[in-house]
Amino acid sequence: MTKPLSIKNLVKNFGGLTATDDISFDLNEGQSTGLIGPNGAGKTTIFSQIMGEYRQTSGTIELYGTEISKLSTPARIRLGVSRTYQVPRPFAEFTVLENVRVGLMPDSIWKMITESPNVDREIELALSVGFSESDLRRTPDELSMGDLRKLEMARTMATNPRIMLLDEVFAGLTVGEIDQIAKLIQKMRSENMTFLIVSHDLKALEPLVDDAIAINYGKVIAQGSFASVISDKAVRTSYLGT
Amino acid sequence: MGLGLRWYHFALWAGFILVMALMPEFVSKGTLRTMIFANFLAIFAISWDVLSGRTGYISFGHPFLIGIGAYTTAILTKRFDVPVEYAIPAAIAMTMVGGTIMFLPALRIKGSYFALVSLAFMELIYQLVQVIRPDLTGGTRGMSGIVTLTRGAANGYYLSFSLMIIVALSMWLLMRTRLGTALSAIAMNEESVKGSGLSPTKLKLFAFMTSAFVAGLGGAFYVHYLGSIAPRALFDINFVFTIIVATLIGGASTIVGPMFGAFFLTFLLEYLRPFLPGAERYLIYGAIALLLYMYQPKGLYHIFMSQLDRFKKSGDDD
Ligand SMILES: Nc1ncnc2c1ncn2[C@@H]1O[C@H](COP(=O)(O)OP(=O)(O)O)[C@@H](O)[C@H]1O
Ligand SMILES: [Mg+2]
Repeated sequence: MTKPLSIKNLVKNFGGLTATDDISFDLNEGQSTGLIGPNGAGKTTIFSQIMGEYRQTSGTIELYGTEISKLSTPARIRLGVSRTYQVPRPFAEFTVLENVRVGLMPDSIWKMITESPNVDREIELALSVGFSESDLRRTPDELSMGDLRKLEMARTMATNPRIMLLDEVFAGLTVGEIDQIAKLIQKMRSENMTFLIVSHDLKALEPLVDDAIAINYGKVIAQGSFASVISDKAVRTSYLGT
Repeated sequence: MGLGLRWYHFALWAGFILVMALMPEFVSKGTLRTMIFANFLAIFAISWDVLSGRTGYISFGHPFLIGIGAYTTAILTKRFDVPVEYAIPAAIAMTMVGGTIMFLPALRIKGSYFALVSLAFMELIYQLVQVIRPDLTGGTRGMSGIVTLTRGAANGYYLSFSLMIIVALSMWLLMRTRLGTALSAIAMNEESVKGSGLSPTKLKLFAFMTSAFVAGLGGAFYVHYLGSIAPRALFDINFVFTIIVATLIGGASTIVGPMFGAFFLTFLLEYLRPFLPGAERYLIYGAIALLLYMYQPKGLYHIFMSQLDRFKKSGDDD
């Protein structure tokens, strides 16, 4: 069976720095995996390579059996992968709904012109991540960090992914907001979404993942069930050491 | 198509067209001639708005595009006796090729760097028409005796207004679709456009081509209205600023704003002429643009729309 995502011997050098150092792992269909490691371990850089925002120095990335190294970001998104950003990057002058609208658009100028925006779907997505009716016409400058993260989620979900890469989804969120996003992730898991989730909040992460991969200095240091990974000695020292 | 059209949109457009169509009955020939210039400036401002107002790729070199349209039809009709009904479409097609060339640097550079490169395009074509085949382009002195399409101020007015209103309406409608949303998104965050699954390259190319189409159309008809071409006036930084200021005064990224901005600016310059015959006028309009900009950076359009909102609130409550 082809894996949703299969990474083999991935290497990324930034000048003299090796941010990804020979990393290999697979994600299984409908499985949720936590990606953990201290700051600067190389988590975000892996996401960026999966999305094609950075080109890897060497190694391969396959999405459902297709080697994607030569594909553009939009082409990868069409294959079913999508990500949120650690630092939210909304469209600053658009409302919440308009932000979601961009995510929902097909990459075809003809369809953009001839087909109406699906406002019902925009509203549904925005409400599903926890926005209230009164938020829908707000612009990003009126939103809290928590709201901006929700907006990232909604825009990512709008691209209709089968694999979602979530980068620090819980950072800056209140307990209530974390709960809401967690419920949303659980719901999508029950609908067979494949997840790769980066989070520093291990307590929030634990119930959301089937297993975990820990990295440090761009290398995998532990891999397996969440419990075994966080009790791993190397993982513990990497967290305490930095 | 989700254009979100309301009754007052139809009413405003119909009212505007009606008033403008009756204009020759009420105003002097001199005023009509001024309005003809306003119509052409409106076309150029809309062309600029579709590209720069929307996507944020600021063009300082729009006369490059306008000039390709103007020179192509001038050369074809005057030197090769090509009928205008072929020469003008050919001119528009050539301008779109020019738009594609101007798009190439936008693949890699943005912001003020792109603006400077676009300015270089204008300088380049200005030098080229003077040295390459001056027997065709007329060199430094330009060309005259180019076939004109209309006689008299009223006819010139009707033709230029018809063109302008077709351009304005079609661009206004086009920008109300999701395409307009996607092009605006480019100006806000190109990376996020990509991250939303849309190809910024494709969108930008479309914006450059559409802008070039409109610029080429305007440039070609303009030269057939004037009957002459003067490279020094065409490839002039003051001309660039006139286009940009008209757009900004009116309200960038609104299509309708630049249209009104063009009229406002043309008449302003006209009324200042007796007092300030020289280039000092440009200082005055720069100052006025600045004042307005400080009062409402989004331009006249937004001042007008907020008034309309108030009117609607007191009128219908749907
Ligand atoms: N564009 C870049 N240029 C140079 N170094 C980078 C770049 N992006 C990330 N890095 C470096 O790569 C390492 C991994 O960064 P990152 O993937 O953001 O870590 P994490 O997300 O795990 O905190 C860090 O040392 C970081 O400084
Ligand atoms: Mg990170």
